[in-house]
Amino acid sequence: MTDQLATRPAEHRSLRQLWAPLGRGLMLAAPGIIMLCGWQYASGRLIRESYVSKPTDIAKRLYELFATGEIWPSLAVTGKELVLSYVIGVTLGLLLGYALGRAPRAARIVEPYVMAFYGIPKIALAPLFVIWFGIGIWSKVMLAGTMVFFLVFYNVYAGVRSIDREVVNLAMVLGANERQLGRHIYLPAAAPFLLLGMRMAIPYAVIGVIVGEFTSSIAGLGLFINYASSTYDPASVFAGIFILLAFVMVMNALATRLERRLLRWRPSMQGVPPEAS
Amino acid sequence: MTDHDTQSALSFRAIRQSFPGLAGEPPLPVLNDISFEVPRGKFVSVIGPSGCGKSTLLQMAAGLLKQTAGQVFHNGILVSDVNRTIGFVPQQAQLLPWKTMIENVEFPLLLRGVKAAERRARAQQAVDKVDLTGFEGHYPYQLSGGMQKRASIARMLVYKPDTILMDEPFGALDAQTRMVMQHDLQTMLAAEGASVLFVTHDITEAVMLSDSVVVMSRRPARILAEVPIDLPRPRDMFEPHAIPGFAEAYDRVWSVFRSELKVRRAA
Repeated sequence: MTDQLATRPAEHRSLRQLWAPLGRGLMLAAPGIIMLCGWQYASGRLIRESYVSKPTDIAKRLYELFATGEIWPSLAVTGKELVLSYVIGVTLGLLLGYALGRAPRAARIVEPYVMAFYGIPKIALAPLFVIWFGIGIWSKVMLAGTMVFFLVFYNVYAGVRSIDREVVNLAMVLGANERQLGRHIYLPAAAPFLLLGMRMAIPYAVIGVIVGEFTSSIAGLGLFINYASSTYDPASVFAGIFILLAFVMVMNALATRLERRLLRWRPSMQGVPPEAS
Repeated sequence: MTDHDTQSALSFRAIRQSFPGLAGEPPLPVLNDISFEVPRGKFVSVIGPSGCGKSTLLQMAAGLLKQTAGQVFHNGILVSDVNRTIGFVPQQAQLLPWKTMIENVEFPLLLRGVKAAERRARAQQAVDKVDLTGFEGHYPYQLSGGMQKRASIARMLVYKPDTILMDEPFGALDAQTRMVMQHDLQTMLAAEGASVLFVTHDITEAVMLSDSVVVMSRRPARILAEVPIDLPRPRDMFEPHAIPGFAEAYDRVWSVFRSELKVRRAA
């Protein structure tokens, strides 16, 4: 296939290379566009507009929000909460997951407790977190951070535990000490699990932060959405939701990039292996 | 320390091993009073029916498994902890999938704190020796089974261990690749002068590669015989039957080994 391409004149190739991703992009966007069109049509005709607003109004509202700068303070607060909760949750999850993964004896004692806490619906803790950590950003950071923590913790823990004992034994015979085992065997082997946990945690960070803001807050996108819905302003509600959606998609794309970069040694991350002799 | 000790690369003394039985059952004896030597610079194979505990002996020499009773000496030193001075080629190549081929070969040197430039140079030599030149930057999944095996041999050669343990290293390879690997192993070892303890269940392989073949019985295993193989070297791995004396050597091993297999004769 590559040979064929190579023998073609240069213009043909570049045209092809230009069109192919464009076509793929269109295919990807088509269902979304159809949905938006259906929404636009149904709004006011099949469903009352005050229930569902409509895409053109939402787009107008989004433009206003950014043009007047009205949304920035809310975005800044929510953004700060998201970043803090994510970084704290991932860091602690990685550290504890790794530590318990390496210490099976301690893990047998600690794991049931962690499991029990994991089972608590974190949302139910939201009011309590407000009492403990105040109405400011920290109650949201802790709530979202807890959700992120558990996802990352369990994935890293499972990753470290999944390592083949024979690989560890061989590395020891080849000369590895405990520290080197961690750096060259356990951590790289747990990396795919860590990245999976980090990716799964993105929407949970958003849920935690928004629920926290719904519960009780003085600023943030959650408050903005909550306020808009209690004042019958569906366009603003959906505008807020679209901002969250965009955030999750951007974060997800970044996570995918990171995964490609860090896991390029995995067969699924690249094309077919060369014909080996 | 007796004179005997200093002449042997490896020395197994009255080894017993039993594994804990299933709930309520007595421990399962696997090895029963195993004693033999791997003389310095010699190639010794251990063959026996599957499940007889051949690989367990290698685990002990590598210090990865504590025997129930008895002692293992490596160059006259009692093995009591992970043995980081011995070479080990596992059944599966066990390359680290997140390292490229040459990074895998470099790995033992990295662990020993060798500087990057020297590391790369020595790894390259080892890679050239096993005929993998040109594949340095490939990840293990991009290599065929035979190439992975070569890389795992290079990884062992790179730190020049004086004694090498090999656990059915060619078992998973196809017949042709296998003969090529056996041929190359013979050539490499002739150059390195290392002592080898080689586990296999293939009699031809054992006879062709070894200076001596240790035949083990079924579980609980004991040593049935130690058969010296004095065929001239280098041996043509591709045509064992053309080697004068091969058939007799094979027969000596087989006549001991067959008693352990329940072979039903055609009536």
